[in-house]
Amino acid sequence: AVVSTQSTGELSRQLKATAGTSTTSVVSGCDLFVRFITLSRGQKGPSSDVDILECKGFDPVRKFLVERGNLFMNRLKDSRRKIAQLAYPFITDGVTVLTVNISRVVLEILTKAHEKSKKFNVLVTQSEEGPYMVNQLNGRGIQATQILDASIGFVMERVSFVLVGAVGVVENGGLINKLGTYPVAVMARSLNKPFYVAVESFKFYRNYPLSQLDLPNDDKYQDPQQKGHPEVDFTPPKYINKLFSDLGVLTPSAVSDELIKLYI
Amino acid sequence: SSGINAEYGEIRSHLNIALKPCFSYLAQCRMMSVSMENFIKHIKLQITKTSPDLSDNEAKEELLFECENFFKENIYLAGKSISEKAVARIVNGDMILIYKKSQLILHILLEAKRQRKQFKVMVVDSRPDLTGVASCERLTAAGIPCSYVYINSCTYIMKKVTKVLLASDALLANGYVLGPVGTAMIGLIASNYNTPVIVCCETYKFSERVQTDSILYNELADPDSMLKTLNADDSLVAGWRESPNTRLVNLVYDTTPPALVSIVITEIAELPCTSAPVVLR
Repeated sequence: AVVSTQSTGELSRQLKATAGTSTTSVVSGCDLFVRFITLSRGQKGPSSDVDILECKGFDPVRKFLVERGNLFMNRLKDSRRKIAQLAYPFITDGVTVLTVNISRVVLEILTKAHEKSKKFNVLVTQSEEGPYMVNQLNGRGIQATQILDASIGFVMERVSFVLVGAVGVVENGGLINKLGTYPVAVMARSLNKPFYVAVESFKFYRNYPLSQLDLPNDDKYQDPQQKGHPEVDFTPPKYINKLFSDLGVLTPSAVSDELIKLYI
Repeated sequence: SSGINAEYGEIRSHLNIALKPCFSYLAQCRMMSVSMENFIKHIKLQITKTSPDLSDNEAKEELLFECENFFKENIYLAGKSISEKAVARIVNGDMILIYKKSQLILHILLEAKRQRKQFKVMVVDSRPDLTGVASCERLTAAGIPCSYVYINSCTYIMKKVTKVLLASDALLANGYVLGPVGTAMIGLIASNYNTPVIVCCETYKFSERVQTDSILYNELADPDSMLKTLNADDSLVAGWRESPNTRLVNLVYDTTPPALVSIVITEIAELPCTSAPVVLR
């Protein structure tokens, strides 16, 4: 067979080197892609009696892989749109949304809500790329303010709900997201504010950390020396109310069900 | 059997009937555990599935093989698989708390020691059976540093513990863990200190039963064993059978709610407690 499961590790390593983004979503995306290919074993090759992945000659196989790859990518790109469609009704007139750092999914949800003429305002924590997020939102006509990470305690009483994106979602429904998400989640729980996560389903990751230190070092640090601050932190599932994904609106315990359906 | 024709296909109808008194005898000796009930269901199914073309002897051999296979797959190999996953969670410098004696948990710890992990174990024990002593013996013989406490001191020692490793007798359909009495207490104290609670459970112990407390379904063990470890010359307690106001209750199981369990390790996957019954589907 053409595809081996060892290749995902290699693939993700190469992708990480080129893309410079965090590994969790890349690894889980690659895992899914491999399954997407291997589960298509039913497809027949040009000689129509041999399975496409077993037939001689690489050209038809390569053509097939590229086709499947494109299909996979289109589905992934579409997931953000699906999530926005699902999530924007949660934004009603007059709400104040708190978000952490930058997230393209959250941006899409807020844009969609704005398009539907909802009046709301957004608070964005500064973190690393908060200013960029604020610019993007203001550019689309959404009222967005930047707040210091230290002031989340101060603003939380005014917030209607918290909406964050995700770098990865783990088996028990816990969240891996940019550094600073965990304190926001704890603060939100403490003041009984709903905490929502917007995440594409390809980011559901087969890992089960029990503590911050359990996160693989690759996910936490960009450079191999592992100095300085980690890039991400882990939010346990008990702080998360709902996850908006292209598979629907899920509770954290449903994430495990979805992963089991897919991998077992 | 009555004649040549009767040698074929009789196993299916007769064996189940022949086994019934054996099962009820076992149930009378001691209440059946969830794992035993699951095995009996499995074997009854195997009996009805035996092909009518086989002779009695062939069918018997097949059934014996099924029994062996059940043990090999669901107990022995499952134990190894769980052990691999659990050992991966043990890191150098850990203080692991275990409760009483469990073959599976001891296997995990001995394997971790074999892989040269540096860790210590806190053995928590409780009366009346005090099986934790045997645990301690096995572990110290393997060179693992052990401490031994009664469950009364659990709150005191919990702050030093980094992980709690528990075995279970069953996993219920609503995510509750049925374990030896005292497990729920340990889970509660551990969650107070934010210590991860790892429950190890093979899939043959999964039950469709739903239960939220320890009273609905439980087993009573010998109450007099509670007296043995006391110097019960005190006639008030020793004469409890005569007194109308005193009862000795020696519960065997208790239920731990899923919120107190961080992770359940089965041979199929590592799951949150609430998803365990999904695996059975």
